[in-house]
Amino acid sequence: MRDVQELVQGPGGPRRGDARRPDMRVTRHGDLRLTRWADLRLTLRIVALTFRAQAEYRAEFLLKVAFGVAWQVSIIVFAAVLLGRFPGMGGWPSDAVLLIAAMRMLSHGLFELFCGRATELSTIVQAGKIDAYLLRPLPVYRQVQLSIFPSNALGDLLVGVSMFTSAVVALDTAWTPLRVAYVGAAVAGGALMEGAIFTLLSALQLRLPAGLSWSRWVEELLSTFGNYPLKILPGVVNGAFTFILPLAFVAYFPAATLTGNTSGLGVPAALAAAAPLAGLAGFVGSRLLWNFALRHYTGVNG
Amino acid sequence: MTARESEFAIEARGLVKTFRTARRRPGALGMLRALVAPERVSTTAVADVSFSVGHGQLLALLGPNGAGKSTTIKMLTGILTPSAGRASVMGIVPYRERVRNARNIGAVFGQRTQLWWDLPARESFRILRDIYGVADGDYRSRMREFDDLLELSSFWDTRVRHLSLGQRVRCDLAAALLHDPPVVFLDEPTIGMDVVVKEQVRLLLRDQVERRGQTVLLTTHDMTEVERLAERVVLINHGHIVLDGTLAEIRTRFGSGWRVNATLVQTEPATGRCPPGLRVVRQDGARVIFEPDGTDGVAPPQALKRVIDRYEVTDIHIQESDLEDVMRAAYLDDRADRELDGELDGETVA
Amino acid sequence: MREGWSTAGITALGELLSPSRLTGTAARMSVQLFLVVCLWHALYSDTETSGGLDEGQAVAYGVLAVLALRLRDTDRWIGRDMVIQQIEFGTIVYWFLRPLAPWRYYLRRAVGDQLYGFAWAAAGYVVCLLAGVMDPPASAGAAGAFAVTFLLGQSVLYYLVLLTDQMCFWAVRNDSAVEILQFAQNLLSGGYAALWYFPGWFQTMSALLPFQATLSVPLSFYVGRLPVDDLPRHLAVQLFWVVSLAALTRLVWRRAEHRVVSQGG
Repeated sequence: MRDVQELVQGPGGPRRGDARRPDMRVTRHGDLRLTRWADLRLTLRIVALTFRAQAEYRAEFLLKVAFGVAWQVSIIVFAAVLLGRFPGMGGWPSDAVLLIAAMRMLSHGLFELFCGRATELSTIVQAGKIDAYLLRPLPVYRQVQLSIFPSNALGDLLVGVSMFTSAVVALDTAWTPLRVAYVGAAVAGGALMEGAIFTLLSALQLRLPAGLSWSRWVEELLSTFGNYPLKILPGVVNGAFTFILPLAFVAYFPAATLTGNTSGLGVPAALAAAAPLAGLAGFVGSRLLWNFALRHYTGVNG
Repeated sequence: MTARESEFAIEARGLVKTFRTARRRPGALGMLRALVAPERVSTTAVADVSFSVGHGQLLALLGPNGAGKSTTIKMLTGILTPSAGRASVMGIVPYRERVRNARNIGAVFGQRTQLWWDLPARESFRILRDIYGVADGDYRSRMREFDDLLELSSFWDTRVRHLSLGQRVRCDLAAALLHDPPVVFLDEPTIGMDVVVKEQVRLLLRDQVERRGQTVLLTTHDMTEVERLAERVVLINHGHIVLDGTLAEIRTRFGSGWRVNATLVQTEPATGRCPPGLRVVRQDGARVIFEPDGTDGVAPPQALKRVIDRYEVTDIHIQESDLEDVMRAAYLDDRADRELDGELDGETVA
Repeated sequence: MREGWSTAGITALGELLSPSRLTGTAARMSVQLFLVVCLWHALYSDTETSGGLDEGQAVAYGVLAVLALRLRDTDRWIGRDMVIQQIEFGTIVYWFLRPLAPWRYYLRRAVGDQLYGFAWAAAGYVVCLLAGVMDPPASAGAAGAFAVTFLLGQSVLYYLVLLTDQMCFWAVRNDSAVEILQFAQNLLSGGYAALWYFPGWFQTMSALLPFQATLSVPLSFYVGRLPVDDLPRHLAVQLFWVVSLAALTRLVWRRAEHRVVSQGG
């Protein structure tokens, strides 16, 4: 990881004279910052480094990709079994149910790619790495996400993309530009909503190692209950999945909006349609809370 | 506790440890090659180490980083099997009879903890008490003793993960000594401790050796610790023993041993009229530093007399050379020797 | 004896000393049970029987699966006492410095953890039964068959987890192995949904693997989906897995120890 350290700070860390470097700028507070372009390049270089580090352990790397695939396939099998065995599904046609599962999976793949390290933040905390991240002139949250290359996300995305494609093709609807834009926004919003949930839970992990149990449990809940119409469940469960653990916003609401199955959602159709915005708002809020938690980080010893 | 058969508590005879690791060349081609025909490189961590420690002795094993100290300790504790040579601890070959040996030894690897990280330290002591089968009465009196010397009770109900490094290492020391082992191995035990705590640990170790007759093998980079504790030191570098003796011997061999600091009444160049057997190390105005030039083996009192005889001085004293300087000289001196022998070509050295 | 208990109790002690974890576990378990019961009732709202299971059987199976998965859920990771962590932090050397063989220490810890998890599962079971959420065993014979196969199933599970832990001695990382095991365990053991709902090829595949012996078999006996007459055959399969996995892991322990003594901790 020394390489990353040097990439971030350059050998010897930032110096005043760096302001004259083409990749540095001075903010209006007088801080020395990387230009946006340099910032992006740096991020990409760190990603490349972590990718190389992962590829070192070839077997582990391939296993991880394979695992991503296997995990997603198992969820598909599970969903397919339920769908085949119990065709009721609250009056939703099966292509619409398939769209829920496909959108969630693609969102999940994107979440894993960009924010997936939040789920297992305790590992990073336990190794004392947060302390090191706090010393570097890059946002801690981004360093957490860049700490390991998300090999398993490649598998998740692979399955997510293929399943999404087939669901979109199978769906009996006219793909107007508006609908295409909406489904794109919904997938991004779903990823952001999942990011919001796990970012919030990882703030817990900054302080409590047992926070990990909660994150893992919620992960399990998302994959068990996120793939079919929540309206089949009793109202109280529905409400909990809307307002406590906002799973409904990840794929269920936008899929309902797209396919017109808007009866019995438990919320006004307009709110359901605004799911992508809810995802964005949720993510921004969770990041603010995360930063607040970071300011109260107490470190680990031993 | 078996076997005082051997006159030594710890014996190492010609210990060698060679590790074989796969080397990977950079780039895609290197990756492919590593997959098809991995290139094996052997690294010698310990080349030839022999020494023995008598019962109730405290020996400091010194050497620069990567000299082979930890590997040696691992062979003596039974974790590693040597590639060649023989070790025996309390008459038991540690790597052959690991469990029997385990009852005779206690060990602290300063940077690693054996405590259960999610439990209060005291719970770890209780678990270890049960694993080692320590009687309740003994356990209580031992804990009281440790508490007196290391002030453990102020933090032993804290979960290990919340302890500071110094507190944690103190608990680790207590954990290693709990079953009153006749032989104790300490690999950098005072790492991360402040001066007050370091002094507490030294007192504890001295107490273990002098009162309980325990044999202690210690590695450290803290020279004050060595000066305070060790009657004998073994200096090891590049897997070889460089010196086995007392601190005084190290000083004579690698340090100039002592210097004369004098302040002259008149500022004059001292070099011209230097007394026999001495040479000027440095002169700064009226202040001159002399050291023996090695021609007649002059002793400090004579040297003082010779300087006073030759010059008019306002102040004069003998200064022992700093142990840190001596060790630096020792480590560097050894390297110079080996570079001459052409032995320092990277791969053969751990 | 005393040493056995205190080693086995390590995880339980860590949990009992932090009330927030206990309430967390209780909360997660209750919510999970509630959701599973809701889900199966909802799925059966238009269906009489599916895969040979009626609604009552499906709910009982689902509840038992949640409880059984709880058994190994106690996270030793929090205690930094998993093999992977011990190796990563270099503290595995202490396993080899104590008058207690590493495999024995591992066994005690695992049995202790499983007993601790069992206490939770049993409590949850009693509550669910008293609350009338689920049915009691199909018959006395079914209860007996469940008890025996459940015990053997837990042994199979112990060896499977041990095997992935042992991998750490060779691979610097075993995350994927652990994840794949968890995934296989959850899916192929019938932990997520009873294997009876799955297509024939899937059932054949899981019959060839050790996973269904851990959960699907005992649970199916409980709900009466497997007739008690089938017990001898399933016992034989479970015993086969226990014996062969025991032999394999024993061999691997020996090699792991050899690796430590030649490479260092």
